[in-house]
Amino acid sequence: MSDLIKFDGLKDMAALLELLPERKKRMKQASAEPQTGDAMAALARALHPELQRLVIADVRQEAAGARVFRLVPDKESGTAAPAVFRAGQYLSLKIDISGVRVARPYSISSSPADAVDSGFYEITIRKKDGGFLSEHAWKEWRVGTKIEASGPAGFFCVEPLRDARHIVGLAGGSGITPFRSMLKDIVETGADVKFTLLYGVNRPDEIMFKSDLESFVAQAPDRISVHFVCCEPDAAWCGPTGFLTADSIRKLAGDPAGKSFFICGPQAMYSFLETELKQFDLPNKRIRREVFGETADVAAHPDYPADAAGKSFSMTVHCGSETTVIPAKSDESALVALERAGIAPPSECRSGECGFCASILLNGKVFVIPETDRRRLAAKKFGVFHPCSSYPVSDIEVKVPLDKS
Amino acid sequence: MADGKKAKIGGACDVVVIGAGNGGLAAALALAVRGAKPLVLEQHNAPGGFATSFVRGRFEFEAALHELSSIGPENNKGGVRRFLEDEGGVEIDWVPIPEAYRVILTDSGMDARLPFGEAPFIDAIEEKVPGSREPLTRYFALCREVSGALGLLAKTAANPSPKRIIKDLKKFVSESADPFEDARRNASNVVTFLRTLPKTVDEVTLKMGIPPKAVDLLYPYWCYLGIPMSRMNFTIWAAMLVDYIDYGAWIPRLRSQEMSYAIEARVRELGGRVEYNTRVDRVLVERGRVKGVVTASGETIKTSAVIANTSPTQLYGSLVSPASEAPAAALRNVNSRKLGGAGFVVYLGLDASPVELGVNDYGYFISKTMDTDAVYGSMEKLDLVDMQATICLNNAIPDCSPPGTTIISMTTLYKPGVWDAVKPKEYAALKNRLADAMITQFDDALGTDIRSRVEEIEVATPATFARYARSFNGGIYGYELDPWDSIIPRILSEKDESYIKGLEVAGGFATMGHGFSSSLISGRSAALKTLAGLGG
Ligand SMILES: Cc1cc2nc3c(=O)[nH]c(=O)nc-3n(C[C@H](O)[C@H](O)[C@H](O)COP(=O)(O)OP(=O)(O)OC[C@H]3O[C@@H](n4cnc5c(N)ncnc54)[C@H](O)[C@@H]3O)c2cc1C
Ligand code: FES
Repeated sequence: MSDLIKFDGLKDMAALLELLPERKKRMKQASAEPQTGDAMAALARALHPELQRLVIADVRQEAAGARVFRLVPDKESGTAAPAVFRAGQYLSLKIDISGVRVARPYSISSSPADAVDSGFYEITIRKKDGGFLSEHAWKEWRVGTKIEASGPAGFFCVEPLRDARHIVGLAGGSGITPFRSMLKDIVETGADVKFTLLYGVNRPDEIMFKSDLESFVAQAPDRISVHFVCCEPDAAWCGPTGFLTADSIRKLAGDPAGKSFFICGPQAMYSFLETELKQFDLPNKRIRREVFGETADVAAHPDYPADAAGKSFSMTVHCGSETTVIPAKSDESALVALERAGIAPPSECRSGECGFCASILLNGKVFVIPETDRRRLAAKKFGVFHPCSSYPVSDIEVKVPLDKS
Repeated sequence: MADGKKAKIGGACDVVVIGAGNGGLAAALALAVRGAKPLVLEQHNAPGGFATSFVRGRFEFEAALHELSSIGPENNKGGVRRFLEDEGGVEIDWVPIPEAYRVILTDSGMDARLPFGEAPFIDAIEEKVPGSREPLTRYFALCREVSGALGLLAKTAANPSPKRIIKDLKKFVSESADPFEDARRNASNVVTFLRTLPKTVDEVTLKMGIPPKAVDLLYPYWCYLGIPMSRMNFTIWAAMLVDYIDYGAWIPRLRSQEMSYAIEARVRELGGRVEYNTRVDRVLVERGRVKGVVTASGETIKTSAVIANTSPTQLYGSLVSPASEAPAAALRNVNSRKLGGAGFVVYLGLDASPVELGVNDYGYFISKTMDTDAVYGSMEKLDLVDMQATICLNNAIPDCSPPGTTIISMTTLYKPGVWDAVKPKEYAALKNRLADAMITQFDDALGTDIRSRVEEIEVATPATFARYARSFNGGIYGYELDPWDSIIPRILSEKDESYIKGLEVAGGFATMGHGFSSSLISGRSAALKTLAGLGG
């Protein structure tokens, strides 16, 4: 076709030029009002606020060693309503203790409807000896205390497009908190699922939410059932005893085939249940685990380099335009070392999952627990590590992100 | 650093790049290799913007990239690969995409698998629709002429004007090694280029005598540009089609996140700085000149040059400070342009292999019809859209997920505004309903059962993109490429439409239009313009 076309500069240039007046005309006719925001940014902010300013409206004791804090928006500080969440999610609570800002994750134990219709969250804090936030909360938090929290986070939620219609919840200790939210949600929304909750405790007086859980069963007896399983029963105990094992699970929840298992509890329970659930030969997708926070005894991990145990290293930290050298113990996460030194990079899950604390390892070595290593492939290739789930095993040099707030 | 949380970015710097998306990273790279020390400020905690990935359970999902154009093999590198590797010194493990696409049109029952390479591509269409070969061969020749002339244009001087373009094109013709043959070819390139410049794709394509069913097989890439063929500028389309079919398409082995981390690491190696969790809230302007930026934590960084990896809509609407420094002409400019589509993606980790599932291709375009106006119309409702562009990553990178598993991501578009009325409390259920419908759409089209094999699922909506990439209204594309707002008119208007000294835009909203390759290239041009400005 090329041969058929003769070059006619003027005419062809006219074609080119025709577009420019059209463009000018359209721009001239357009409004000069600035678009200062957009609806999707607003929706994203409503769903995932960077910070929620809350205030404690109520505190109540829930069994031995656990307190429920009801948090409502601190309207004076600009938070109008609690962000919507999905049952099973957590909040990262942020506190300043003697000038150090740290954050700790706590599952929301109230239901989504409580947040949407009644404007509150409840979180339930188990007292932990030597715990940084938990001890502080027990000592200092009362009605009127202001609390800062992240938006709702986490993935420990029932997903109809993925999970079975019959769910078995395996809760241990304070791991009951997300399940309370899930069960209350099932009652309130009438969701078309069956939920069997097996709740393991050491002693009968540790059972949290006993009457709540029983009332959920009473309200939806065809969908919800709850079994308390006690390790160290007293004379009055008449329910099942011992650990949650393959046998007890099968006995209480029936044939495991075709069911989804949700696990939340202390770290030791995960490793124990791992072995137990193997006997059921379930597909991977049928077992969901909540992250459990920082690993308690990292040196016990079989892959941990033995010669690093019990040592203290130096950590050169670049943050913004500043550089500091701080001590870092080999058995504490790099994040705790940073926080102890008063450097608080952002954190949310403290379990290696969310990437909020992502930093760059410029020199040296850290041990990352393979089971909680949720870094992206490229992150690993380019020296990115998550301080919350990494342990120094040599002197290290790192670049950590600035805190947003 | 006694009080670590007050750590600052500190000081002043020559160039601030706002955002570490494709455009921002490319700009930082182009600056850094030329000895400038850019400071990149990114609100998120990782580089990449859309060029990212995320982990759920045993799977690492690609967030956005389907295929990159202009990469090409080692021995025939495309422009983007030359920029990243040869100029930038960035090493990326590129993996070729096995075939162009599989297109399934559910209304007509058309189902075809199209390979890369002009000849095999045309052969495959001829086999499905006899009689297509001759018009398609002419069509490709035409597209090639247009694309060639566009390539020449890219090499023209920095001060484009219609006269200048014609002069440069003529000059190119007269300087050719084989004057007679090249002159004929290039003269015709120029003519074809100029004649088709104001035309839409339909206006050119539908006159070529290509059987309608073959047009259906030719058009699926339209959804990467996102406006119907009755409006999309032909020039851009021709260049894109030729690029994909000639060079093939490529992806980084470790997801697009590999590319963003690789560029970021190289920028740091060259002395640039990248700070995360650092949102820029204001670009300070005084009497039409950039003076600095202010971060969300209130820190001011002095600079005379800013490259913004954002939309000009956000830049002039809310970033430029004081607001009185945003010229009315700039506001009219951004308001006159149409925002491209907002993204909706369903990411699936499946617990069966691609073979077990019967999902044997990499890229699927599944659509009710190839009537692009009708499909575009379906993006106006908060309901299942008529088309999905779906990727099965394992069919390019078999070991991208554990043995016996598969990663699939299904993408569609909504017009800006469609999601505006969504309330937070309806959000989760809405996501679920739409994802459910898209899974059915896929299973019905392929006769598969991926639904029962879902091990992980994540759904990204316009709000997700607004959250992670701060994209305006959740858009994943830049301004729509109508003929009056396609690349040539943008190039020709650049001078007139430059409103603030020291301020350049990089990314999908810049001159070159959206898409990974264009955004990378736009970052490079923004860097060059910035350097020219700093020098002068
Ligand atoms: C997703 C998720 C949901 C959870 N939900 C719940 C729940 O609903 N209820 C519940 O009770 N628990 C819950 N947990 C567990 C809870 O987050 C932990 O128990 C909690 O983080 C413990 O925090 P702590 O501050 O009390 O103890 P930690 O401080 O974590 O204890 C570790 C040790 O490090 C030291 N340390 C840490 N930081 C510093 C610092 N900055 N300076 C000096 N020393 C420091 C402490 O002194 C202590 O010895 C959840 C965990 C996760 C991951
Ligand atoms: S805090 Fe979530 S990965 Fe470290």
